[in-house]
Amino acid sequence: MSSKKHHTAEFAPLRGRVEPGSTIIAVGGGKGGVGKSFVSSSIAIFLAQLGYDTLAIDLDLGGANLHTNLGAPLSNRGINEFIVNPELEFKELIQNTNWPKLKLISGSSDVLDVANVDELQRSRVMSAIFRYKTDFTVLDLSAGTHHSTLDFFLMAKHKIVVITPDPSSIENAYRFLKASFFRKLRRYEHQLQLKNQIDELLNNKAKHNIKNPADFMRVIVEREPVLGVKLKNILNDLNFEIVLNQARTRQEIEMGYSLQSVCNKYFGFPCDFLVGLEYDNAVWQSLRQRNHLLMANRQSHLYAQLMGLARKLVKSHQLKAVV
Amino acid sequence: MSDRQNHQTYYEILEVPPTAGPTEIYNAYQRARNTYSPSSPALYSMFSPEEAQQLLQLIEEAYQTLSHQARRREYDVKLGLVQPQAPLRSTKDQPVTKYSAEEAKKKVDENWVGPVKVVRSVAKSEDLPNGFARTRFSVYEINPEIEAEIANVQECDGEFLQKIRLYKGVSIEQMADEIRVSKSTLVALESNDIDSLPVPVFTRGFVVGVAKTLGLDEKKIADAYMKYFKPKKRAP
Repeated sequence: MSSKKHHTAEFAPLRGRVEPGSTIIAVGGGKGGVGKSFVSSSIAIFLAQLGYDTLAIDLDLGGANLHTNLGAPLSNRGINEFIVNPELEFKELIQNTNWPKLKLISGSSDVLDVANVDELQRSRVMSAIFRYKTDFTVLDLSAGTHHSTLDFFLMAKHKIVVITPDPSSIENAYRFLKASFFRKLRRYEHQLQLKNQIDELLNNKAKHNIKNPADFMRVIVEREPVLGVKLKNILNDLNFEIVLNQARTRQEIEMGYSLQSVCNKYFGFPCDFLVGLEYDNAVWQSLRQRNHLLMANRQSHLYAQLMGLARKLVKSHQLKAVV
Repeated sequence: MSDRQNHQTYYEILEVPPTAGPTEIYNAYQRARNTYSPSSPALYSMFSPEEAQQLLQLIEEAYQTLSHQARRREYDVKLGLVQPQAPLRSTKDQPVTKYSAEEAKKKVDENWVGPVKVVRSVAKSEDLPNGFARTRFSVYEINPEIEAEIANVQECDGEFLQKIRLYKGVSIEQMADEIRVSKSTLVALESNDIDSLPVPVFTRGFVVGVAKTLGLDEKKIADAYMKYFKPKKRAP
């Protein structure tokens, strides 16, 4: 039942619109250790501080640690229990935190074999997240390009990719973005009956001079003026948002614009560079004390940069509310 | 030549809006050149070196056109962005403002409060009544006793400096700000906390600064202070 509902939601652009219960923000980005949990916890705290009801969900099923970033205690009810126990209600998972407006669904638990969830379980979780009514839902995703990670990433309105300025992180982030792109493409090809066309193009890339998704979209729009444009519009919704974390110099922050430009040219749809976050030793120091940086250090550049990020997200939320 | 050239305008290549001014175009060009230079880490696994080279060429081409007033105009006409008979674009950046010039002027007129006279803290001393004098920060009543004491000083300590400072009505914060010495050092100086003060050559510098700010004869005061300070600093 729930999975059916989820599908209606996912294919909303094609079959009438189902609005999600909140503005969903997913924080992903290929490599581990780039600060996904830090960024998502910070976004969640700031949104809560700005007065929005916020729910932070740890979807890093294999290695959950969002609760540590938020300084919350271990819980015996997390998303894992929700997955293994069909009786459990989504609302029962919600934990309070130090911030009155911020609620948490942790991923920590003793149920260990849930990192590999199947399609049905996944869609049950997604549908529950999609329907939950609040202002913002912040999803902390796992590293890697596992299908469940990609699906959680794609369901969000804001698809934030956390990148650090080192080549391995950049490579993994690009791989993550490419994987998301093709996951979305594959999902709609049946709907639009373009499967044969797409397969043909992807198998003969050299013949059609396709080097990247931008070329691919151009060719498919030429060949299929109506459905191609439809597909293009759907994929334009991807609109990745880049957060550059742990920048140590001015040049490294500038690199965010380079990443944005490369993504624009490669994918052929607009990607935004949201913010560059400075490297700050205070982050791991405060983590070690199991205390969030933002509780202690309000004078830092990082605080201001994160505040800027939260405000940008709020702005688009408000725009949506007006429309 | 890349296919892409046929599908992207120069504006899209540089990622600027068609309304962009010269500075914006220049900045975008610099940024694009850095992004697609062979050493750029942002390209890694997305564009091959040859593709990057092609893109760089396009970027160069785009900049050559858009940075030149007449060539840009010609290009704009070709794109259908402007009419052929329209005036040339200004080479200056458009001011960033929400209001038109008239509106802005009206806004200013509404808030007009008359000419503002900038009053500096140091005015001329002639306008003071007799028996008063000024420092940069204050006006004080001349006290002949203290003035005589200053004139005849041979040896003085920090308390004497403090006495003059208070007599002339300069606060310790103003002093610290003026001579760029921390407040704690000034407190040490004035309370004769010799151990907290640096070696004589620096301390002398502080005293000179204090004396200058208070409008005193800096050499005389510094010499007098060093007479007091040096023997004590040397003592263990």
